[in-house]
Amino acid sequence: MTEQTIEGYESVRTWRRDLSDQWGGDPIAEEPDKLRALERFCEFVGDDPDTIVGRCFRVRKSDGERVVSSKWRTHYAGKIVEFRDRNPDLESQRLGADVLSFLIHNGVMVQA
Amino acid sequence: MEYQELIGSRRSIRFFDPKKPVEQEKIQKILEACLIASCAVNAHWLRAIVVNRDDIPKAELQKMKSPTQALIIELAPVHIYFYSDLSVVNRKKGARLKELVDVGALNATHGWSHKFVDELVYPQLLKPLTESPYYAAFAAFDCGVAACQGLLMAFELGLGACLGAFVAPIVAEHVKPPEDWMPLYAMNVGYPMESREAGGQRPRPPFEEQYFLGQYGKPFPRDPKVVEELRRTKMLQASAPLPGRREEVRQIARKLNLPE
Repeated sequence: MTEQTIEGYESVRTWRRDLSDQWGGDPIAEEPDKLRALERFCEFVGDDPDTIVGRCFRVRKSDGERVVSSKWRTHYAGKIVEFRDRNPDLESQRLGADVLSFLIHNGVMVQA
Repeated sequence: MEYQELIGSRRSIRFFDPKKPVEQEKIQKILEACLIASCAVNAHWLRAIVVNRDDIPKAELQKMKSPTQALIIELAPVHIYFYSDLSVVNRKKGARLKELVDVGALNATHGWSHKFVDELVYPQLLKPLTESPYYAAFAAFDCGVAACQGLLMAFELGLGACLGAFVAPIVAEHVKPPEDWMPLYAMNVGYPMESREAGGQRPRPPFEEQYFLGQYGKPFPRDPKVVEELRRTKMLQASAPLPGRREEVRQIARKLNLPE
Protein backbone atom coordinates (compact mmCIF):
# COMPACT_ATOMS: atom_id res chain seq x y z
CA MET A 1 0.00 0.00 0.00
CA THR A 2 1.15 3.57 -0.64
CA GLU A 3 1.56 6.27 2.00
CA GLN A 4 -2.06 7.33 1.53
CA THR A 5 -4.30 6.66 4.54
CA ILE A 6 -6.87 4.01 3.94
CA GLU A 7 -9.76 6.46 4.28
CA GLY A 8 -8.39 8.38 1.30
CA TYR A 9 -8.93 5.65 -1.27
CA GLU A 10 -11.85 6.22 -3.59
CA SER A 11 -13.15 2.70 -3.03
CA VAL A 12 -13.11 3.24 0.73
CA ARG A 13 -15.01 6.51 0.34
CA THR A 14 -17.57 4.67 -1.79
CA TRP A 15 -17.88 2.00 0.90
CA ARG A 16 -18.36 4.58 3.60
CA ARG A 17 -20.97 6.50 1.61
CA ASP A 18 -22.93 3.40 0.67
CA LEU A 19 -22.90 2.01 4.21
CA SER A 20 -24.19 5.30 5.46
CA ASP A 21 -26.96 5.34 2.84
CA GLN A 22 -27.98 1.82 3.76
CA TRP A 23 -27.76 1.86 7.53
CA GLY A 24 -27.83 5.55 8.41
CA GLY A 25 -25.20 7.34 10.49
CA ASP A 26 -21.57 6.67 9.70
CA PRO A 27 -20.92 2.98 10.33
CA ILE A 28 -17.22 3.37 9.53
CA ALA A 29 -16.77 6.05 12.17
CA GLU A 30 -18.95 4.16 14.64
CA GLU A 31 -17.07 0.88 14.11
CA PRO A 32 -13.43 1.63 13.26
CA ASP A 33 -12.74 -2.12 13.32
CA LYS A 34 -14.16 -2.22 9.83
CA LEU A 35 -11.30 -0.12 8.49
CA ARG A 36 -8.75 -2.05 10.49
CA ALA A 37 -10.12 -5.25 9.01
CA LEU A 38 -9.71 -3.91 5.51
CA GLU A 39 -6.18 -2.76 6.29
CA ARG A 40 -5.25 -6.20 7.58
CA PHE A 41 -6.67 -7.79 4.47
CA CYS A 42 -4.81 -5.39 2.19
CA GLU A 43 -1.59 -6.29 3.96
CA PHE A 44 -2.42 -9.97 3.63
CA VAL A 45 -2.92 -9.80 -0.14
CA GLY A 46 -0.38 -7.03 -0.74
CA ASP A 47 -2.81 -4.78 -2.63
CA ASP A 48 -4.40 -1.45 -1.77
CA PRO A 49 -8.22 -1.05 -1.70
CA ASP A 50 -8.52 0.64 -5.10
CA THR A 51 -6.33 -2.00 -6.71
CA ILE A 52 -8.47 -4.78 -5.24
CA VAL A 53 -11.68 -3.26 -6.58
CA GLY A 54 -10.08 -2.29 -9.88
CA ARG A 55 -8.90 -5.82 -10.50
CA CYS A 56 -12.39 -7.19 -9.89
CA PHE A 57 -13.56 -5.51 -13.08
CA ARG A 58 -12.33 -5.76 -16.63
CA VAL A 59 -13.24 -4.27 -19.96
CA ARG A 60 -14.80 -6.79 -22.32
CA LYS A 61 -12.97 -6.70 -25.63
CA SER A 62 -16.01 -7.40 -27.79
CA ASP A 63 -18.05 -4.35 -26.79
CA GLY A 64 -15.98 -2.28 -24.37
CA GLU A 65 -18.39 -2.94 -21.49
CA ARG A 66 -17.05 -2.93 -17.96
CA VAL A 67 -17.79 -6.36 -16.51
CA VAL A 68 -16.85 -8.27 -13.38
CA SER A 69 -13.66 -10.27 -13.61
CA SER A 70 -14.57 -13.75 -12.41
CA LYS A 71 -10.90 -14.59 -12.10
CA TRP A 72 -10.09 -11.82 -9.65
CA ARG A 73 -13.38 -12.03 -7.82
CA THR A 74 -12.70 -15.71 -7.21
CA HIS A 75 -9.12 -14.89 -6.26
CA TYR A 76 -10.11 -12.44 -3.53
CA ALA A 77 -12.97 -14.64 -2.30
CA GLY A 78 -10.40 -17.41 -1.94
CA LYS A 79 -8.05 -15.08 -0.08
CA ILE A 80 -10.80 -14.24 2.40
CA VAL A 81 -11.40 -17.93 3.04
CA GLU A 82 -7.65 -18.48 3.35
CA PHE A 83 -7.35 -15.64 5.84
CA ARG A 84 -10.21 -16.99 7.92
CA ASP A 85 -8.76 -20.50 7.86
CA ARG A 86 -5.37 -19.25 9.03
CA ASN A 87 -6.81 -17.03 11.74
CA PRO A 88 -9.59 -18.73 13.64
CA ASP A 89 -9.96 -15.94 16.21
CA LEU A 90 -13.27 -14.12 16.30
CA GLU A 91 -11.86 -10.82 15.04
CA SER A 92 -10.39 -12.45 11.97
CA GLN A 93 -13.64 -14.23 11.26
CA ARG A 94 -15.37 -10.87 11.38
CA LEU A 95 -12.70 -9.46 9.07
CA GLY A 96 -13.97 -11.62 6.23
CA ALA A 97 -17.45 -10.14 6.57
CA ASP A 98 -16.08 -6.61 6.61
CA VAL A 99 -13.95 -7.18 3.52
CA LEU A 100 -16.92 -8.71 1.74
CA SER A 101 -18.93 -5.66 2.72
CA PHE A 102 -16.22 -3.44 1.22
CA LEU A 103 -16.30 -5.38 -2.05
CA ILE A 104 -20.08 -5.59 -2.24
CA HIS A 105 -20.58 -1.87 -1.68
CA ASN A 106 -18.11 -1.31 -4.50
CA GLY A 107 -20.27 -3.39 -6.82
CA VAL A 108 -18.30 -6.61 -6.62
CA MET A 109 -20.87 -9.33 -6.02
CA VAL A 110 -19.07 -11.93 -3.97
CA GLN A 111 -20.14 -14.39 -1.31
CA ALA A 112 -17.27 -16.30 0.26
CA MET B 1 -52.98 -21.30 8.02
CA GLU B 2 -55.93 -20.25 5.89
CA TYR B 3 -55.20 -20.45 2.18
CA GLN B 4 -55.38 -16.75 1.40
CA GLU B 5 -53.15 -15.89 4.33
CA LEU B 6 -50.72 -18.58 3.24
CA ILE B 7 -50.39 -17.04 -0.21
CA GLY B 8 -49.97 -13.63 1.36
CA SER B 9 -47.37 -14.80 3.84
CA ARG B 10 -45.03 -16.43 1.37
CA ARG B 11 -41.75 -14.61 0.91
CA SER B 12 -38.49 -15.58 -0.73
CA ILE B 13 -36.63 -16.43 2.44
CA ARG B 14 -32.88 -15.89 2.19
CA PHE B 15 -31.80 -16.35 5.79
CA PHE B 16 -32.12 -19.88 7.11
CA ASP B 17 -31.06 -21.32 10.42
CA PRO B 18 -28.11 -23.31 9.09
CA LYS B 19 -28.01 -25.67 12.07
CA LYS B 20 -31.66 -26.57 12.27
CA PRO B 21 -32.34 -29.61 10.12
CA VAL B 22 -35.57 -30.05 8.20
CA GLU B 23 -37.60 -33.15 8.95
CA GLN B 24 -37.71 -35.49 5.98
CA GLU B 25 -41.49 -35.87 6.36
CA LYS B 26 -41.86 -32.16 5.68
CA ILE B 27 -39.84 -32.49 2.50
CA GLN B 28 -42.06 -35.37 1.50
CA LYS B 29 -45.12 -33.19 2.04
CA ILE B 30 -43.61 -30.54 -0.24
CA LEU B 31 -43.08 -33.16 -2.93
CA GLU B 32 -46.58 -34.60 -2.42
CA ALA B 33 -47.95 -31.09 -3.00
CA CYS B 34 -45.98 -30.90 -6.25
CA LEU B 35 -47.30 -34.25 -7.38
CA ILE B 36 -50.99 -33.35 -7.16
CA ALA B 37 -50.64 -30.06 -9.04
CA SER B 38 -52.57 -29.29 -12.17
CA CYS B 39 -50.70 -30.79 -15.09
CA ALA B 40 -51.29 -30.50 -18.83
CA VAL B 41 -52.05 -33.84 -20.50
CA ASN B 42 -51.22 -35.49 -17.17
CA ALA B 43 -47.64 -35.68 -18.37
CA HIS B 44 -45.84 -34.77 -15.12
CA TRP B 45 -42.65 -33.31 -16.48
CA LEU B 46 -41.45 -32.18 -13.06
CA ARG B 47 -38.70 -34.20 -11.44
CA ALA B 48 -36.93 -33.36 -8.21
CA ILE B 49 -33.75 -34.52 -6.55
CA VAL B 50 -33.55 -33.70 -2.87
CA VAL B 51 -30.13 -33.14 -1.39
CA ASN B 52 -29.26 -32.62 2.24
CA ARG B 53 -26.62 -29.92 2.30
CA ASP B 54 -24.58 -31.71 4.92
CA ASP B 55 -24.26 -34.75 2.64
CA ILE B 56 -22.44 -32.65 0.04
CA PRO B 57 -18.67 -32.70 0.46
CA LYS B 58 -17.44 -29.22 1.37
CA ALA B 59 -15.37 -28.81 -1.78
CA GLU B 60 -18.35 -29.74 -3.95
CA LEU B 61 -20.65 -27.36 -2.10
CA GLN B 62 -18.10 -24.63 -2.68
CA LYS B 63 -18.17 -25.33 -6.41
CA MET B 64 -21.99 -25.23 -6.47
CA LYS B 65 -21.99 -21.64 -5.24
CA SER B 66 -22.93 -19.02 -7.79
CA PRO B 67 -22.41 -15.35 -6.95
CA THR B 68 -26.05 -14.75 -6.05
CA GLN B 69 -26.92 -18.11 -4.53
CA ALA B 70 -23.78 -18.87 -2.54
CA LEU B 71 -25.06 -17.83 0.84
CA ILE B 72 -28.51 -19.30 0.36
CA ILE B 73 -27.22 -22.76 -0.50
CA GLU B 74 -24.75 -22.55 2.36
CA LEU B 75 -27.49 -21.71 4.87
CA ALA B 76 -30.34 -23.89 3.59
CA PRO B 77 -30.12 -27.41 5.01
CA VAL B 78 -32.09 -28.88 2.11
CA HIS B 79 -31.81 -28.23 -1.60
CA ILE B 80 -34.46 -29.52 -3.97
CA TYR B 81 -33.20 -29.52 -7.54
CA PHE B 82 -36.01 -29.35 -10.06
CA TYR B 83 -35.75 -30.71 -13.57
CA SER B 84 -38.07 -31.15 -16.51
CA ASP B 85 -38.20 -34.66 -17.93
CA LEU B 86 -38.75 -33.71 -21.55
CA SER B 87 -38.91 -37.27 -22.88
CA VAL B 88 -41.85 -38.30 -20.72
CA VAL B 89 -44.48 -37.50 -23.37
CA ASN B 90 -42.95 -39.77 -25.99
CA ARG B 91 -42.33 -42.50 -23.44
CA LYS B 92 -45.89 -42.56 -22.20
CA LYS B 93 -47.52 -42.01 -25.62
CA GLY B 94 -50.79 -40.82 -24.11
CA ALA B 95 -51.06 -43.57 -21.48
CA ARG B 96 -51.53 -41.06 -18.68
CA LEU B 97 -54.33 -39.37 -20.58
CA LYS B 98 -56.04 -42.74 -20.93
CA GLU B 99 -55.75 -43.14 -17.16
CA LEU B 100 -57.77 -39.96 -16.83
CA VAL B 101 -60.37 -41.45 -19.16
CA ASP B 102 -60.46 -44.62 -17.07
CA VAL B 103 -61.05 -42.79 -13.79
CA GLY B 104 -63.74 -40.53 -15.20
CA ALA B 105 -61.77 -37.31 -15.18
CA LEU B 106 -61.87 -37.07 -18.99
CA ASN B 107 -65.18 -38.19 -20.41
CA ALA B 108 -67.06 -38.71 -23.63
CA THR B 109 -69.03 -35.60 -22.70
CA HIS B 110 -65.94 -33.66 -23.70
CA GLY B 111 -64.96 -35.91 -26.56
CA TRP B 112 -62.48 -38.15 -24.79
CA SER B 113 -61.93 -41.86 -25.42
CA HIS B 114 -58.94 -44.22 -25.62
CA LYS B 115 -59.26 -44.23 -29.41
CA PHE B 116 -59.21 -40.44 -29.49
CA VAL B 117 -55.98 -40.42 -27.47
CA ASP B 118 -54.35 -43.20 -29.50
CA GLU B 119 -55.29 -41.98 -32.94
CA LEU B 120 -55.43 -38.24 -32.62
CA VAL B 121 -54.14 -36.71 -29.40
CA TYR B 122 -50.82 -38.47 -29.13
CA PRO B 123 -49.77 -38.83 -32.79
CA GLN B 124 -51.22 -35.58 -34.07
CA LEU B 125 -50.89 -33.22 -31.14
CA LEU B 126 -48.52 -34.40 -28.44
CA LYS B 127 -45.79 -35.93 -30.54
CA PRO B 128 -45.55 -32.88 -32.82
CA LEU B 129 -45.60 -30.70 -29.72
CA THR B 130 -42.43 -32.40 -28.49
CA GLU B 131 -40.75 -31.36 -31.74
CA SER B 132 -41.82 -27.73 -31.39
CA PRO B 133 -39.27 -25.08 -30.42
CA TYR B 134 -41.74 -24.02 -27.72
CA TYR B 135 -41.98 -27.46 -26.13
CA ALA B 136 -39.41 -26.85 -23.39
CA ALA B 137 -41.12 -23.61 -22.36
CA PHE B 138 -44.50 -25.32 -22.35
CA ALA B 139 -43.18 -28.08 -20.09
CA ALA B 140 -41.36 -25.58 -17.86
CA PHE B 141 -44.60 -23.67 -17.30
CA ASP B 142 -46.18 -26.85 -16.07
CA CYS B 143 -43.23 -27.62 -13.81
CA GLY B 144 -43.54 -24.14 -12.34
CA VAL B 145 -47.15 -24.75 -11.43
CA ALA B 146 -46.16 -27.90 -9.55
CA ALA B 147 -43.14 -26.33 -7.86
CA CYS B 148 -45.31 -23.44 -6.69
CA GLN B 149 -47.59 -25.84 -4.85
CA GLY B 150 -44.55 -27.30 -3.12
CA LEU B 151 -43.33 -23.84 -2.31
CA LEU B 152 -46.59 -22.91 -0.61
CA MET B 153 -46.59 -26.19 1.28
CA ALA B 154 -43.17 -25.32 2.71
CA PHE B 155 -44.62 -22.19 4.27
CA GLU B 156 -47.69 -24.05 5.49
CA LEU B 157 -45.29 -26.32 7.37
CA GLY B 158 -43.51 -23.42 9.05
CA LEU B 159 -40.50 -23.60 6.78
CA GLY B 160 -38.99 -20.93 4.60
CA ALA B 161 -37.97 -21.43 1.00
CA CYS B 162 -36.47 -19.61 -1.92
CA LEU B 163 -36.42 -20.55 -5.58
CA GLY B 164 -33.23 -19.83 -7.47
CA ALA B 165 -31.08 -20.85 -10.37
CA PHE B 166 -28.34 -23.40 -9.86
CA VAL B 167 -25.06 -24.23 -11.54
CA ALA B 168 -26.42 -27.19 -13.47
CA PRO B 169 -23.21 -28.89 -14.67
CA ILE B 170 -21.69 -28.86 -11.20
CA VAL B 171 -24.86 -29.93 -9.41
CA ALA B 172 -25.22 -32.70 -12.01
CA GLU B 173 -21.88 -34.16 -10.94
CA HIS B 174 -23.37 -34.68 -7.51
CA VAL B 175 -27.01 -35.58 -8.19
CA LYS B 176 -26.43 -37.38 -11.51
CA PRO B 177 -29.69 -36.64 -13.35
CA PRO B 178 -30.49 -38.41 -16.62
CA GLU B 179 -28.93 -36.55 -19.53
CA ASP B 180 -32.25 -35.57 -21.09
CA TRP B 181 -33.58 -33.83 -17.98
CA MET B 182 -33.62 -30.08 -18.37
CA PRO B 183 -32.42 -28.21 -15.27
CA LEU B 184 -34.90 -25.66 -13.97
CA TYR B 185 -34.62 -24.16 -10.51
CA ALA B 186 -33.56 -25.17 -7.04
CA MET B 187 -35.82 -24.74 -4.06
CA ASN B 188 -33.71 -24.09 -1.01
CA VAL B 189 -35.52 -25.00 2.17
CA GLY B 190 -34.95 -24.50 5.87
CA TYR B 191 -36.26 -22.89 8.99
CA PRO B 192 -36.25 -19.13 8.53
CA MET B 193 -34.11 -16.89 10.68
CA GLU B 194 -36.22 -13.99 9.50
CA SER B 195 -39.49 -13.06 11.13
CA ARG B 196 -42.63 -14.37 9.48
CA GLU B 197 -43.24 -10.98 7.87
CA ALA B 198 -39.64 -10.96 6.56
CA GLY B 199 -39.84 -7.22 6.11
CA GLY B 200 -43.27 -7.13 4.49
CA GLN B 201 -44.77 -8.00 1.14
CA ARG B 202 -42.40 -7.24 -1.69
CA PRO B 203 -42.96 -4.44 -4.20
CA ARG B 204 -45.14 -5.49 -7.09
CA PRO B 205 -45.96 -3.66 -10.33
CA PRO B 206 -49.34 -1.98 -10.60
CA PHE B 207 -52.16 -4.54 -11.03
CA GLU B 208 -53.56 -2.68 -14.03
CA GLU B 209 -50.27 -2.90 -15.89
CA GLN B 210 -50.21 -6.66 -15.60
CA TYR B 211 -53.75 -7.83 -16.30
CA PHE B 212 -56.33 -6.96 -18.92
CA LEU B 213 -60.01 -7.47 -19.53
CA GLY B 214 -61.27 -8.32 -22.98
CA GLN B 215 -58.18 -7.28 -24.86
CA TYR B 216 -54.68 -6.05 -24.34
CA GLY B 217 -54.55 -2.43 -23.34
CA LYS B 218 -57.80 -2.45 -21.35
CA PRO B 219 -56.73 -2.88 -17.75
CA PHE B 220 -58.64 -5.34 -15.65
CA PRO B 221 -60.44 -3.04 -13.19
CA ARG B 222 -59.14 -3.37 -9.65
CA ASP B 223 -62.09 -3.08 -7.30
CA PRO B 224 -60.99 -1.44 -4.03
CA LYS B 225 -63.65 -3.43 -2.15
CA VAL B 226 -62.00 -6.65 -3.26
CA VAL B 227 -58.63 -5.30 -2.24
CA GLU B 228 -60.03 -4.45 1.17
CA GLU B 229 -61.49 -7.92 1.55
CA LEU B 230 -58.12 -9.45 0.67
CA ARG B 231 -56.51 -7.30 3.34
CA ARG B 232 -58.95 -8.70 5.87
CA THR B 233 -58.13 -12.26 4.85
CA LYS B 234 -54.40 -11.36 5.05
CA MET B 235 -53.63 -12.24 1.46
CA LEU B 236 -52.64 -8.63 1.01
CA GLN B 237 -50.36 -7.59 3.82
CA ALA B 238 -48.30 -4.57 4.78
CA SER B 239 -45.79 -3.71 2.08
CA ALA B 240 -42.06 -3.75 2.54
CA PRO B 241 -40.17 -2.17 4.11
CA LEU B 242 -41.71 -2.72 7.51
CA PRO B 243 -40.24 -0.72 10.38
CA GLY B 244 -37.28 -2.51 11.89
CA ARG B 245 -36.38 -4.51 8.78
CA ARG B 246 -32.90 -3.04 8.49
CA GLU B 247 -32.25 -3.80 12.12
CA GLU B 248 -33.53 -7.35 11.68
CA VAL B 249 -31.17 -7.92 8.75
CA ARG B 250 -28.28 -6.40 10.65
CA GLN B 251 -28.87 -8.65 13.64
CA ILE B 252 -28.97 -11.74 11.45
CA ALA B 253 -25.84 -10.57 9.62
CA ARG B 254 -23.97 -10.24 12.89
CA LYS B 255 -25.23 -13.55 14.21
CA LEU B 256 -24.10 -15.34 11.05
CA ASN B 257 -20.99 -13.22 10.54
CA LEU B 258 -22.15 -11.89 7.18
CA PRO B 259 -21.24 -8.68 5.41
CA GLU B 260 -23.39 -5.63 6.07
